[in-house]
Amino acid sequence: MKSLVEVSNMYFHYPRVKITAGDVGWTLHDISVAIRPNSTVGIVGESGSGKSTLIRVMCGLLHHQKGSVKFDGREVSEYEGAGVNDLRRRNQIVFQNPRRSLDPRMTIRRSLSEPIRALQERNPDDAELITSIQRVGLGPEVLSRFPHQLSGGQLQRVGIARSLSVNPTILYADEPVSALDVSVQAQVLNLLMDLRDQMGLTLLMVSHDLGVVSRMCEEIVVMRHGHIVEAGPTSDVLSRPKSDYTATLLRAARAASLERS
Amino acid sequence: MLQLRNLRVAIDDQEIINIAELDLQPGSRLGLVGESGSGKTMTAKAIAGLLPDETKVSGSVMFGGQNLLELGDRQLAKIRGKRIGFVFQDPARSLNPMMRIGKQVSEAIRLHTDLKGDAVKAKVIELLQQVQLPDPEALVRRYPHQLSGGQQQRVMIAAAIAADPELLIADEPTTALDVTVQEEILRLLISLSEQRKMSLLFVSHDLGVIRFVCDRVAVIYGGNIVESGRIEDIVSRPMHRYTAALLAANPGMPKDDNFSAYIGKRLQTISGSVPAVGKFPSGCRFRNRCQHATESCSNVPATSMVGQEHRYACWHPGNGG
Amino acid sequence: MPDTTPAAGRPSLRKRLRRLPITLYVGGTLVSLFVLVALVSFVWTPYPPNTLNLFNRLAPPGTPGFIFGTDRAGRDVVTELMLGARNSLYVSVVSTIVAMFFGSLIGLSIAGSKSVLQGSLTRFVDVGIALPGILTALVLASKLGPGNTTATLAIITWQVPVAARVTIGPARQILALDYVEAAYGYGRSKAYVLRRHVLPNISPLLIVLGSVMFAAAILIEAALAFLGVGVQPPTSSWGRFLNETQSLLEAAPYLMFFPGVAIVLTALGFNLLGDGLRTVLDPQQARSGLA
Repeated sequence: MKSLVEVSNMYFHYPRVKITAGDVGWTLHDISVAIRPNSTVGIVGESGSGKSTLIRVMCGLLHHQKGSVKFDGREVSEYEGAGVNDLRRRNQIVFQNPRRSLDPRMTIRRSLSEPIRALQERNPDDAELITSIQRVGLGPEVLSRFPHQLSGGQLQRVGIARSLSVNPTILYADEPVSALDVSVQAQVLNLLMDLRDQMGLTLLMVSHDLGVVSRMCEEIVVMRHGHIVEAGPTSDVLSRPKSDYTATLLRAARAASLERS
Repeated sequence: MLQLRNLRVAIDDQEIINIAELDLQPGSRLGLVGESGSGKTMTAKAIAGLLPDETKVSGSVMFGGQNLLELGDRQLAKIRGKRIGFVFQDPARSLNPMMRIGKQVSEAIRLHTDLKGDAVKAKVIELLQQVQLPDPEALVRRYPHQLSGGQQQRVMIAAAIAADPELLIADEPTTALDVTVQEEILRLLISLSEQRKMSLLFVSHDLGVIRFVCDRVAVIYGGNIVESGRIEDIVSRPMHRYTAALLAANPGMPKDDNFSAYIGKRLQTISGSVPAVGKFPSGCRFRNRCQHATESCSNVPATSMVGQEHRYACWHPGNGG
Repeated sequence: MPDTTPAAGRPSLRKRLRRLPITLYVGGTLVSLFVLVALVSFVWTPYPPNTLNLFNRLAPPGTPGFIFGTDRAGRDVVTELMLGARNSLYVSVVSTIVAMFFGSLIGLSIAGSKSVLQGSLTRFVDVGIALPGILTALVLASKLGPGNTTATLAIITWQVPVAARVTIGPARQILALDYVEAAYGYGRSKAYVLRRHVLPNISPLLIVLGSVMFAAAILIEAALAFLGVGVQPPTSSWGRFLNETQSLLEAAPYLMFFPGVAIVLTALGFNLLGDGLRTVLDPQQARSGLA
């Protein structure tokens, strides 16, 4: 099957970083990964592994220096003019901290209509916004509220609704539940699974939590220090890890997790 | 060694904590589990006497035969940091960025022990070794930003155990850390508590972490201890509906590497979210989110026992449907 | 993060008013008094401007008809103070508005510029701050001649870099937040982000900054008039009034007290107001991720 996103031999560094001899300084190092349409992929790694940077390069928010990143068969850097809006529309991100991802001075109505205003240059009507907010299990009354009047779980639902309002092809979720309470985490994870199935989304989930990834994702990419350590079907990679690092990660996660059947 | 009786904490006439009874045995490791807004950190602060001035506290916190709530600032200062040590969530914020590591640890030693001069230096090195930091001689001259998060937390632990406390209170000490580092720090806390016969009060939102570290657990919701007992009893046979729901909502890790059967499996959820302070219902605090709630739940549930230690306060106990 | 719904029932208005800092009330009162006096001077002063009472020169305070007395030329002190307030208000309003506008514009642009450029642009602003303001004013005066325009321009050149410098940091903090990245993610431009996300979120800071700059403008206007670079006779000004009392130290030592106190109270008023606003607006800053 054709890949939706195809990254090959890609290198990335942040501005004002000098790449020295021996390729030191790259934040992402020789990354090759392919995402099939309608798959759910987890990217796991610890802080500094480059997992959050990787999804930003994949959706075209950051620009890589070497190698190639293709979305739907076309190099991401080639999307220009009206094409950029199409790229943006089809690639949407949900952020880790819902309080930081909504402007505190905008009503939920305004925040929610922003992607449509920006990408389709029109003002969405109330019916559209209400459909959008109900899809994530919230009532229309939240539209007139400000972010500080909502709970973290509610805000994360608004964040998801905002990303989905423009009918993306891929949803990138960057640690979508790690800032939430345990009881709310489960609600948001279930919601993501439901929406993925309803809307036929490709879901890319960045997480440090192997428990969450092993429940949500059929494929997994393990990253460390800007490299991909291991990638493949989740059950293969986690049942028979090929690299020592994956094994270490798995052991640490197991030690401090509940066993569930 | 630590006994809480009828501990009530209120801010602006809003009662945020009401704990009838909570005990910590010498050498035992007690986990205090709750979500944000449950009152777990407030409880830890109440024990430490670190509550803000505008709070009203009543009841008793007995530690070594004294009621900590009745002590003055001076007497409390002799206990806090000396007989009770503290480790907090974010080591980067707890360490002074302008002070070398050696100085930060030696301050704790000077403040709480009689050691002087070279003996302090030797003690610093010894403590840094005990928290398994590599090359302590070089480390003492470093500044906090030159250390990783895990190393910073080890330094915090070294300072906290400087005066051989009988009790260590750790408030989400590994939440900001990576999984592999988390495991190392948790193992360190376990071994320190075993070697030194030091009790541990471990505050966390994660039952997985608590099961790894603690032998006993108290579940707090809405400022009340809803269930307490041995960790294995509670994880395998929770009685309070909140505990059962919290366990069911935890993503956990699949048993026996059975990953393929695990993928795509929905989690059980708890409806709604933790109410704000003062917005909890009367009677059972959890009843507005509980599937099993009935009329009787509007009355405060009495504490029931299973065996010797397992206590819970629920009108409709159980863990099945 | 607490997953709690923040309480809807906020304390009553009266309770919230009582919680406002005292500095806000004192500063607000002083500032309103100042503005009121300046505005009233347009329609009423005890005597018409520049009425010389040649028989009543240097009348002491308490003289019938002249509560605060008269100056060397026999002008009523109350009238002079009211007209001086008008000039102070005029110069500081114009200079503060202009300086805040250009300063924050420059600050926002620098914060939004490429990271490679940002360092050098910021240093450039720092150089602007380092220029001594009085010297700038004297140079301007030698080119343009003394007057209110010179004073206003001097204050503006002095304050633009300050306003820019204060804007850069908080604007960069906002730019690092996720809602900004989200906006880029759905195709918003940097200019839009700066206008619709950054500016509203740093506005509490700009309000506080504005009130402090107002106080500074009052002081600088007085200083420049005192040095003879500011407004020229016959227009009244506190600074010039103060200057004239210098030569009367022996004949009427009390006279310097009037413009002096007027300047101090007004500047104090704006500073207190700024301080009070800072306290009041702080929780909002915390919410927007500034604090």
